[in-house]
Parts: sequence; structure tokens; C-alpha cells
Amino acid sequence: MSEFSNALSASSSALKAQATRLRHVSENISNADTPGYRRKTVPFETVRDMNSDIENVKTGRVHLDRTDLAQIYDPSHPLADGSGHYEGSNVDLMIEIADAREAQRSYEANIKMFDQTRQMSASLMELLRR
Amino acid sequence: MFTELNVFKLANAMATHAGTRQALVSQNIANADTPGYHAKDIKPFSEVFDDNTRPGDMRSSRSKHLNGSSGQGLDWAVSTSEDGSDPNNNSVSIESEILKGVEVKRQHDKALAIYKSSMNILRTSLGRS
Repeated sequence: MSEFSNALSASSSALKAQATRLRHVSENISNADTPGYRRKTVPFETVRDMNSDIENVKTGRVHLDRTDLAQIYDPSHPLADGSGHYEGSNVDLMIEIADAREAQRSYEANIKMFDQTRQMSASLMELLRR
Repeated sequence: MFTELNVFKLANAMATHAGTRQALVSQNIANADTPGYHAKDIKPFSEVFDDNTRPGDMRSSRSKHLNGSSGQGLDWAVSTSEDGSDPNNNSVSIESEILKGVEVKRQHDKALAIYKSSMNILRTSLGRS
């Protein structure tokens, strides 16, 4: 029985981590046109539960992407310097969409495992009836 | 049949095995995107059971016997895969884990069905329905 609760806790920790990742992806996408914005990434880490010997997932500290900001030519922009360029964000929409898709795929896999564990424990409980 | 009730023990071991494996599969899928994580697994039940019932093996029939398999002491050691890593040193493949999950679910259902049906036989033999 405790195996089932281990499985549920692993799945739910992963759901939470993937949701956090997806949130940061959508922050990046919504700020893709913000001047000077650096894209955020969250690393995943394992955390071992001392009581149950299972490895859950948690998200670590948010990192800012240190790559150079895009130089956008627009002399009429209020932030433009002498050469007519201003610093945009370093968000690559293609990467963000791919990351979001991967997060969604992992999220669905975890939902499936959560549901399956729930079904298994329900059918175990069914044995007690009648 | 009624002195040992082996079928219940077997169904119990099978369901417990399915539960343990389910926990590992969930853990693997949960860590599918964690850098440095390696997939974990235990042997399939058929292999575990075959290992345990090798002909000529010593069997312990009471708790004070030291070496020898008892049917409860099945080999459920957790193994960690080392092969096929992603660039981030993670060896989980979601596809094969989902497949393993389906296998586990079927095994668990099977064990519970066996348990339920044996229970029905016992009930019938007691004259209840």
C-alpha cells in the first residue's frame, strides 16, 4: 500500500515541477519582445525522501540565460543608441515552443501514471467489498 | 489445497511485485527530465519466480532456517540502467516506461482476479455465495 503512496507522491512532485517549467516558458514567450529581457530556465533536481526511499523531483533556483541580447535596428525606438540599435530579449520562440511541448508531453505521462496508480489502489480496495 | 493456500501467497506476491514496480515506473517517469537520473527497475515477476523455484534449491520452511528461499524472500533488488544516456546523462525513455506501466497494470489486475476467484472457491466450499 505504501508503494502506491510513493508512486503518487513521485507523480505529483513531477506534475508540480513540470507546471513550474511551463510557467517559466510562458513568461519567456510573453516577454519575447520586452527590451533587455533575459530568458529564464529552471533546472530539475532529484530529492530523496528519507522515509520512503523514493526520489521525487523538485525545481531548483531560476537561472537567467547569459547569452547576448539581440541587437535590433530601429532608430525611432526611444531606447535606441547612437547607431540606431537597441537591445531586445534573448528569447528564441522556437526553443520555447519546443520546451513547452516537451513539458506538456511529460506532464501527460505523469497524469497517466497517477491515474493508473489510483485505479490499481481502487481495485485493491474493491477486494474488501461484499 | 486448503492446508497451504499457496495460490493466495502467489497472488499476494504477484500483486506486491506489481505495486513495487509501479512505484519505480512512476519514479522513472517523474524524473524523465532530471539531468543525471538513471532509470530503475526490478526483474519481471516470471523471472523472479523462476529464480526462486529452481529445482534442487534449498527451501526454508520456518523462520529460523538461515539460507534458502522461503517464497517470501524473492529477489526484488532494484537495478539501475546505465545504457543509452541523453546528452544530460538521463537514461529514461518515456515510451518504454509507459509500456512497462501497462504491463504492471495487467499483472496487478491478473493477481487480483486470481485472488478474488480463489476467494469465491473458498466461499462456495463453505456453502455461502
